[in-house]
Amino acid sequence: MFGLIDGNSFYCSCERAFDPKLRGKPVVVLSNNDGCVIARSQEAKDLGLKMGDPWHLVRERPEYKTVEWRSSNYALYGDMSRRMFEVLCERVPQVEPYSIDEMFLDLARLPGDLVARCVALRADVRRIAKIPTCVGVGPTKTIAKLANRVAKADRDGNGVCDLSTAANRSAVFPTLDIGDVWGLGRPSVAKLNNVGAYTVADFAGLPADQVRKLLTVTGQRTHAELNGIACLPFSLMPPTRQTLAHTRSFGEMVTSWDEMREAVAQYALRASEKLRRHSLMARAMQVFMHTNQFNNDPKYANSAAFEVEPTDNSFAIVTAATTAARRLWRDGYRYQKAGVILLELHRPEELPIALFPSRDPEKSARIMAAMDAANQRYGRDAVRPGNVRANSRWNMRRARLSPSYTTRLDQALVAETDLKKEDLQLASSSEQQASGQSAD
Amino acid sequence: MARYVGDETTGFQSPAQDYIEGVVDLPQVLDLRRPGRYPVRVKGQELRERGLWDGDILVVDAAADPKPGKVCVAMVCGDVILAELRRKDGEWTLRPAKGDSIPVAGDVEVWAVVEALVRRNP
Repeated sequence: MFGLIDGNSFYCSCERAFDPKLRGKPVVVLSNNDGCVIARSQEAKDLGLKMGDPWHLVRERPEYKTVEWRSSNYALYGDMSRRMFEVLCERVPQVEPYSIDEMFLDLARLPGDLVARCVALRADVRRIAKIPTCVGVGPTKTIAKLANRVAKADRDGNGVCDLSTAANRSAVFPTLDIGDVWGLGRPSVAKLNNVGAYTVADFAGLPADQVRKLLTVTGQRTHAELNGIACLPFSLMPPTRQTLAHTRSFGEMVTSWDEMREAVAQYALRASEKLRRHSLMARAMQVFMHTNQFNNDPKYANSAAFEVEPTDNSFAIVTAATTAARRLWRDGYRYQKAGVILLELHRPEELPIALFPSRDPEKSARIMAAMDAANQRYGRDAVRPGNVRANSRWNMRRARLSPSYTTRLDQALVAETDLKKEDLQLASSSEQQASGQSAD
Repeated sequence: MARYVGDETTGFQSPAQDYIEGVVDLPQVLDLRRPGRYPVRVKGQELRERGLWDGDILVVDAAADPKPGKVCVAMVCGDVILAELRRKDGEWTLRPAKGDSIPVAGDVEVWAVVEALVRRNP
């Protein structure tokens, strides 16, 4: 039996965990460079805010005046995801971190009433990791994921939806749209609509042969999963990354080579740091830059892919990236975006031993480890290659970045020893309020 | 600098080489890796009598059971405060350093219980 537990409005919930002033208010979290809305609290959803809304364009609307916004704080979200995972690991035999806010649970060997256990799990994650969640239960991952959606949609429910029995499924499937099924994209939904299948029950009832003809093997697997045949196993190891990218749109268009060089150097540095966090080496790289493809600016786009001596060394990667970027650069254009992508990633032990390495791999590893340790301790870019500028504007714009409450001691949550008088009055008047626990 | 922890010497063999234990692991002592443990900084002098000074770092545990008499971090109507936990007629209340007791209900939440204290330059 599978469970899928997922954090409600995860990023917003992380922000709220440490800032009680955000509770009960519409909250949104914005993408890199404070661009678009990427997370919404229920209150923000109710106001009509959509995922991907460009915040600078919609923020002035009168209905959004009360919306609290935050820049994305991935240091915080990553640590809160770890806490959620560990709370679950202490209570469930196997937990698969599927994404930053979703975890599959192996509920097969859990004794007792499944729903009661899931209700208790939710409460523990809420209390300890501070994240409100919903849980879906089913005999396959696809059903568990669907059940999670049902749990989330039922705002007055207990936050758990159990589709472990065929009886429950046949009651609920006719009410669910096939667009809600994990793994069915819009083209697949359109094809199914064409043959008269609109609900999950319609789809699950189709003959397997017809599904395979219509949607190929992946669709057939989803179909089997919906019929209770587990095709997607529990996986404990994340797949090894194939590529690793650091690409950004510029806040302002770039028109000089100096600016472009700075940006590319910075992106290459970030990518190389990420590479080391994953304990990988890159054997090839790609660098690209382009102008805005949609406005009336003269257009230019170019990229270069090339092999490098297998490395995770920031100096080598930054130099290779800026050298390649120099060849791509053309004067006279207004560049909108650039990026560095590391390719052909391998674990060091998978790589053949180089006969004539241009640098001592052990020495390089020690220098990189020292650099990472110094930056961990003294803050990003405290130690960096000389051709990367510190605090350049190629760092993200994060105008309302919350503190890294859990990972930086100087940014820890602050608790006051004195309570202001007006708060006391509020507190005693809230006594009368009913204290109900909602799903969000 | 070469790594020397008291074991590998160049001349006389170190009699300690089989007994090296390493530096005290404070994160382990303070249980910082547990998912319910959070750092919290004290602001204000009102809890000096309880031994909590302005600027102290507390290690609080959201998984620990609340106990009467313990100091906790509480979220009270939008504020984060420190207060002592009390139990009266089967109901939890908060006793702040100054002022009246606050019942734990509505927009008042016990967030975590204080379990350890880190103070520099005491």
